[in-house]
Amino acid sequence: MIPLFNSDHLLDRRKFLNLGARGMGALGLASLAQPGLLNAAGRHGGALGDPHFTPKAKRVIYLFFSGGPSHIDMYDYKPGIRKVHGIELPESIRKGQRITGMTSGQKSFPCVAPMFEFKQHGQSGAYYSEILPHIASLADEMSLIRSVNTEAINHDPAITYINTGTQQLGHPSMGAWLNYGLGSPSDNLPGYIVMISKGRGGSQALYSRLWGSGFLPSKHQGVKFRSSGEPVLFLNNPPGINRNSRRAILDSIKAVNEAKFAETRDAEIQTRIAQYEMAFRMQASVPELTDLKSEPEHVFDLYGKDSKKPGKYAYNCILARRMLESGVPFVQLFHRGWDQHGNCPRDVRYQCEDVDQPTAALVKDLKQRGMLEDTLVVCGGEFGRTIYSQGALTKDNHGRDHHGRCFSMWMAGGGIRKGYVHGETDDFCYNIVRDPVHINDLNATVLQCLGLDHERFTYRYQGLDQRLTSVQGARVVNELLA
Amino acid sequence: MPVHISKLCDYYEKSQWPLGRELDARMKSAEKAVTDYDKSIVTVMTMGDLAKPRKTYVLARGHYASPKKEEEISPGIPTVLPPLPEGAPAKRLGLAKWIADDDHPLTARVAVNRYWSMIFGAGLVTTVSDFGTRGSLPSHPGLLDWLARDFADSGWNVKRMFKQILLSATYRQQSAATTEQLHRDPENVFLSHAPRLRLQGEFIRDNALAVSGVLNGKIGGPSVKPYQPPRIWNEVALNGGLFYKPDKGAKLYRRSMYTYWKRSAPMPNMMAFDAPTREKCVIQRPLTNTPMQALVTMNDVQFVEAARVFAQRVLQKGGADFDSQLDYAFMLTTARPADELRKRVFRNLYDSQLKEFSADATRAGELLKFGETKRDESLNLAQHAAWTTVASAIFNLDEVITKE
Repeated sequence: MIPLFNSDHLLDRRKFLNLGARGMGALGLASLAQPGLLNAAGRHGGALGDPHFTPKAKRVIYLFFSGGPSHIDMYDYKPGIRKVHGIELPESIRKGQRITGMTSGQKSFPCVAPMFEFKQHGQSGAYYSEILPHIASLADEMSLIRSVNTEAINHDPAITYINTGTQQLGHPSMGAWLNYGLGSPSDNLPGYIVMISKGRGGSQALYSRLWGSGFLPSKHQGVKFRSSGEPVLFLNNPPGINRNSRRAILDSIKAVNEAKFAETRDAEIQTRIAQYEMAFRMQASVPELTDLKSEPEHVFDLYGKDSKKPGKYAYNCILARRMLESGVPFVQLFHRGWDQHGNCPRDVRYQCEDVDQPTAALVKDLKQRGMLEDTLVVCGGEFGRTIYSQGALTKDNHGRDHHGRCFSMWMAGGGIRKGYVHGETDDFCYNIVRDPVHINDLNATVLQCLGLDHERFTYRYQGLDQRLTSVQGARVVNELLA
Repeated sequence: MPVHISKLCDYYEKSQWPLGRELDARMKSAEKAVTDYDKSIVTVMTMGDLAKPRKTYVLARGHYASPKKEEEISPGIPTVLPPLPEGAPAKRLGLAKWIADDDHPLTARVAVNRYWSMIFGAGLVTTVSDFGTRGSLPSHPGLLDWLARDFADSGWNVKRMFKQILLSATYRQQSAATTEQLHRDPENVFLSHAPRLRLQGEFIRDNALAVSGVLNGKIGGPSVKPYQPPRIWNEVALNGGLFYKPDKGAKLYRRSMYTYWKRSAPMPNMMAFDAPTREKCVIQRPLTNTPMQALVTMNDVQFVEAARVFAQRVLQKGGADFDSQLDYAFMLTTARPADELRKRVFRNLYDSQLKEFSADATRAGELLKFGETKRDESLNLAQHAAWTTVASAIFNLDEVITKE
């Protein structure tokens, strides 16, 4: 054969230095992780060992509003906005920019001011819509970002982008990255849990890749908890097998596996024995976790009317708090139904009715328990919506199309500046005029709060040192940090 | 002609006039022959080169919307690699010829290294997807070259290459490692012993179906929908409107490679065992070891049903006493009889469960009704249920889900 491995392939000094500069991520750090030993973030089993610096947040609750919540009707208010109502979107604003196929054929693009009242709240004086009274009451607790932006304008690429750092498929989600890098403090619950709820509006599809592990080992993927039937897939014993029988079966498996280990010295067998025990513990700990019977009545009052209905967003918010309390370091709630192409005034109101009180309750609940200071709360969707109406604008109705050039999200808790509004859009809530925050900048900032330098947190795949924040560069938004 | 007249003519020709009737029938049958023929042709998508190739440019920072019009590029081979074969066009045909050239320094090496890693768990070059400057060097360069040459010279015969490796003395070593081997070759780089690797998820499922005797060996045909917990599809589908409907009967027991795959909501029991989502090419599957996997093989109806059918097979064919039944079960699952320890452990389990199920026939009946297959009612209920717990335990043994 033609020689392939010649001296050029030997590691020379320059290549060796390159290797060092790439950081430890490239070297397959799983071997450095010491199960059982807690790292500086109070977790174990992560590939990084310790985080890069002292984390401000120990855990994350990510409230993901899927479909593209209308930043115009919820957060991005300016007193002059009423003046644009009914006028045609000027070319000086649109600048020939690409819009989706759903409205690109429209003859007219009449701008629509929000059909809701807005008021200033808290010391910061930030405006919030009347349909978010509870979230508005947190004005002094959080950083509202009005200048988040993404290149994507359709759901599938956009929601994949913000959750995995790229529009291409096959990359790990944020939770999977963190699970891989930092591990988990919990011995009997997964390190990344996902729950899904659905509002009254039309629901865009979700994809398991949004909590998937991409090119990372699959054990880092989010575990989906479910509101009815088994809380976790395959958790329940089959009919006819009770807990005593299960224990007896497990004991026999364990005895044979131990003998096998003595014979082969294969360490995987010891891991397997431990995982079967963990499965047994999960069969007890998960139902305990998802049983809200022990919650006092005032907690249900705090989370509002849906808080006793399994499968509802409010119910999931209580579950999320219980998970965070039990040591789960990353919980992500997906609430569907934010795609208001039509009937925007009615349906945005419906959606806000579902999420406003429980979302605020979750933040307050965490605060009461002293957990907010080291819990990072992130809230938002994959993009915003257009100032112009999709379809006809009538006296009390209109629609809004997808808009990625600017939208609003907020963060609160561990490491986040309080009572702050970041970024500004133009008079039409269409383009950003000050302090843009790309979704990868936002993700870099989340990692920063967790003690991770997003540029050093890498995994080698397809010849690149891949990052959650993509290889194209992102910046930590220091202004958002406390 | 007014419409009513034309309708009348049509009616007369097709129903009253004898020759018209015959012609109409012949016409219809000829038309049907054409559509039947069309339907019999399987449509296959192909790709072709444009007559006039589209201009391609360097993309600024790789962004598809930012081509640098001043930097037009054309197809070619990086100069560090051999050039295109003589006369090969610089398009896909040329690329295919270049890749499949018997003397290409990479193709055969990369391929055999990948087969090696499928069998041994790690390639001779451990970075199976990277033979570049950042890849690792081969542990056995001479062997890699020999295998690659052998593979290309055999006409790229994949089956022969697998046999070549599987029949080697190296592969046929014992997988249990001695203390000395572990000390001197901890990562088994020098292949001092055979690998011990967990089976892939599809193999674990197929294996359970096969040993229990329910495996449907049919080859080919459309995909099938085996058991899946409810609400996996509609939970993520557009407006919650798409539901998974499991098949009935024999289709539940096809080999896992025929399972219908939905990328946005893939089969959860296979995902637990590192099955790729099919969203991106995966060269090397991770082999994780998680509690979710234990829950699947212990509780998934596919595995529990296979266990009770396996128990039935053991009771029917494994002899009269427990020990010979257990030997039969171990021969089927591990290719060796059960030793004293296994006999003692599983005799204990069997006895304790037999007592429980004898006292509670309802529980035994529930367990033996899980899944679609009807049980052999002539078997004693409690014995069958107790043996099912033993069968399920065997399906969960490390030595059963591991290739050794």
